[in-house]
Amino acid sequence: MSHWEVMVGNKAVAYAAKLARVQYIPAFPITPQTTIVQYLADMIANGDLDAEYVTVEGELTAQASALGASMAGVRAFTATSGPGLLYMHHPMHAVSGARLPIVMAVIHRSVKGMQPDHMDMMAQRDTSWLMMECENSQELLDTGVMAFKIAEDERVRLPAIFSGDGYILSYTAEPVEIPGQEEVDAFLPPYRSQVPMLPELAKECREYAIAQWGVGEDPQLRWRRQQEAMDAAKTVISEVNEEFEERFGRGYGNGLVEEYGCEGAEAVIVAMGTIASTARTAIDNLHGRGKKVGLVKLKTFKPFPAEEFRRIGGEVGAIGVIDRNISCGSGGIVFGEVRSSLYEMNGRPRTLEFYAGLCGKEVRVSDIERIAEKTMRAASGERVTPLVEWV
Amino acid sequence: MSKPIPLAKLGDEEFIDPANQACQGCAGSIVARIVSKVLRDRWVRQEVACCGPALSNIWAPSVYAEIFEGAGAMMTGKSRAYKAMGRDDVIVAGIIGDGGTVDIGFQGLSAAAERNENFLWIVYDNEAYMNTGGQRSSATTAHASTTTTPIGALSRGKREPRKNVPLMVAMHGVPYVATASVAFPEDLIGKLEYAKDVKGFRFIHISSPCPTGWRFDPRYTIKVARGMVQSGLWPLYEVIDGETIRLTYKPRELRPVREVLKMQGRFRHITDDEVDEIQRRVTAFWERLIAKDGGPLF
Amino acid sequence: MIEVRFHGRGGQGAVTGVRVLATALYFEGKFTQAIPMYGTERRGAPVVSFLRVGDRRINERDLVHEPDMVVVLDPLLGRTVPVTEGLKEGGLVLINHPRSGREAGLGGNFKVSTVDATDIALETLGRPITNTAILGAFAKVTGMVSLGSLEKAVLKQWPGRIGEMNVRAVRRAYKEATEPVNVSDREGVKVRPPGLFERDVSSWRVFRPEIDEEKCVGCRRCWIFCPELAISMEGEKARINYKHCKGCGICAEECPVGAISFTQEKILEGRE
Repeated sequence: MSHWEVMVGNKAVAYAAKLARVQYIPAFPITPQTTIVQYLADMIANGDLDAEYVTVEGELTAQASALGASMAGVRAFTATSGPGLLYMHHPMHAVSGARLPIVMAVIHRSVKGMQPDHMDMMAQRDTSWLMMECENSQELLDTGVMAFKIAEDERVRLPAIFSGDGYILSYTAEPVEIPGQEEVDAFLPPYRSQVPMLPELAKECREYAIAQWGVGEDPQLRWRRQQEAMDAAKTVISEVNEEFEERFGRGYGNGLVEEYGCEGAEAVIVAMGTIASTARTAIDNLHGRGKKVGLVKLKTFKPFPAEEFRRIGGEVGAIGVIDRNISCGSGGIVFGEVRSSLYEMNGRPRTLEFYAGLCGKEVRVSDIERIAEKTMRAASGERVTPLVEWV
Repeated sequence: MSKPIPLAKLGDEEFIDPANQACQGCAGSIVARIVSKVLRDRWVRQEVACCGPALSNIWAPSVYAEIFEGAGAMMTGKSRAYKAMGRDDVIVAGIIGDGGTVDIGFQGLSAAAERNENFLWIVYDNEAYMNTGGQRSSATTAHASTTTTPIGALSRGKREPRKNVPLMVAMHGVPYVATASVAFPEDLIGKLEYAKDVKGFRFIHISSPCPTGWRFDPRYTIKVARGMVQSGLWPLYEVIDGETIRLTYKPRELRPVREVLKMQGRFRHITDDEVDEIQRRVTAFWERLIAKDGGPLF
Repeated sequence: MIEVRFHGRGGQGAVTGVRVLATALYFEGKFTQAIPMYGTERRGAPVVSFLRVGDRRINERDLVHEPDMVVVLDPLLGRTVPVTEGLKEGGLVLINHPRSGREAGLGGNFKVSTVDATDIALETLGRPITNTAILGAFAKVTGMVSLGSLEKAVLKQWPGRIGEMNVRAVRRAYKEATEPVNVSDREGVKVRPPGLFERDVSSWRVFRPEIDEEKCVGCRRCWIFCPELAISMEGEKARINYKHCKGCGICAEECPVGAISFTQEKILEGRE
């Protein structure tokens, strides 16, 4: 049976891990995720969760030990933020290379301070991990549970991050519905390692290891397979989201994007996470003033749902992308991905870039209204400058 | 306490294929054969970057993951998983090089020892990063010539004496720490037999001379290893629970280090003063070991 | 532009040798590109390197697939590595081999020149590092580089006594290299590439141990110390499986009763 509780986002994350019956938790503190691993310690200490909990000496070991555990045969979970995520960059590649479906919560923290932005996760975007962003604590809990099912699907078998903005979600309390354990058990089957890492499987392991080395194969094949798994993940994400909605009554668009107020829109803005949440109010206000502008919340950043943007791009005159990140020397990362997805279209929409919320700078309803209005002017054919704006 | 096992008592069953891709005369290959003979079909193996992947003739399951610094972490994850799965029959062990143990792997080593994780960490120590061509590690003997501590007008090989990792690990209070040598197989096998079924963190550090990196003819691998032990450059001892230390090889007199160093091309340049410096250090350490033998570690 | 492929085993100096040759060619005003193929750097394991030589800067960065010439630093390597694959018609093979070009186990539309580089290296250097001897032969049979430039390059790489020993190797090989001979009517030895976990390392040997069973006391020291598990106990006697023996010499060195001899392997056609 589900029940409601007013809780902070970090606790919702802990509940996701608990409901998923994770078996191995390497724990290391870093603001603003620390309380996640503390909640888990309490749950284990009180007998509410049966898992091996290891206070590791750093995030690199957290990820590398999760690799060992997942390979050996148990469901592994960890949580981190900002610099901790960067510190584990090396083993993150090893985990995805080994096709292990580890799930990790990332509570966003800037790499230039403690406040939130998406630089931490974006710095890891090439590690072949799924990346799913959340706008509120309920979504954190739900996405955490879904992440295990998606990652462990035979068609995917890639590790997954589910994430949310630090402080804004991690420490803010709001009502969250916690599904019942039996309902989650019916949704999420137990984990099975695909690696024959047991003494009695020595022969199978040797064959497996040879295949892992890609001996005698085109060396590019290993990357190609990971890319194909990423592509397959789009379908799996939508399927799992649909099933989750049927069982638990909560849906998040098609799992890849969620459109808000886009019917008949002439322009849309794109945002991730809590900025998308605030944007809903901005869109409501603008609708109240008769403006035809909608919000596309990007929920899955990896794999990037380019098809969704081609579809949406065909219906609007302009897209304003809000990036809570920047790749210095190039530009906003979501902006680049959106543009790229639109390139082959005839009559593609205008695209505008907005940097907002980096280093935790506050993003207000009024800021988003201005972003949306500027995007609408671009949609109407007006020459708007600058195309790139720091909000 | 471990007990040496006579060679005649060992069976003929092997758990490793003959011949691998390692250099001629590789002590690491001898270590791999001896470890697999003792651990048989009861273990899973951890590998990290080192010459170890050349030891792919070992039968125990192993899948290489590219995390050089992660031996301690990965073995932690594996052993915790088997515990969660109710598989306490599985022995988790790794044959790790000195680099992956004493340098880049040191953090993971210390932390796993501190947590008393349940696995067996075996070091085959060839005193440098041999897989990448022979760069110094903190396990390299002082004054050795390596590719990053070469001999030149301004450089006399590695400046620092070797870091005493076995004693450092023993100070974590773990169930078992031992040093061993390929030249003393009965002693090494006895230590492996003892360690294999102890629960908690076990550490066996094996001196494994490398003909390619230490620059001697491969036929002398065992002779050099024997010299390292007989001169006190690599004393053989074990420490139980971080408390009691016991020498397992106690010659009446140590061989002069000079003879042993001169067997190795990496010391070809060494001066009498440098030899004396090493001799003083070795003699002093040996005397302290003798004084503590059979008693408390400190 | 001329392209050469070098085959050797780790420890024979294939990679360094090619660099020395490139330096020698540079002294003669040529542009060169010396490319090693790195695997795990093991003594004994097959290695390949490439050399391109031209009159101006060389832009190609891919590998050499159709060499004009092949140089083989090890007499038995051709049994497990297809050393003449891709060699241009009418090309040249220079191989370290104690016999003549027509008895080196190679056959096809090319010429073969030999030099007993192992013997030369053992005599001048005391170790079977065959690269400089091969380079001396290379200078002689190709005429691409003068002996003088080669010696200068050798001394640059190895100053002092070591350099002088290597120069002697170069000079002796220069004298002793055999004239290239046609082998288009000969059949080359069948190449058996190693399997994934190939256990046959017999061709790594330069020296060969032999156990005198009369003297063997069954102490098992050779058995435990053999890194390749090439030695098994038949009752109380130790026996060597030569397929698995790399010829490291540990057994000969460690036998407490001197029951194991260690002598240079003879290169014969058809030995196991």
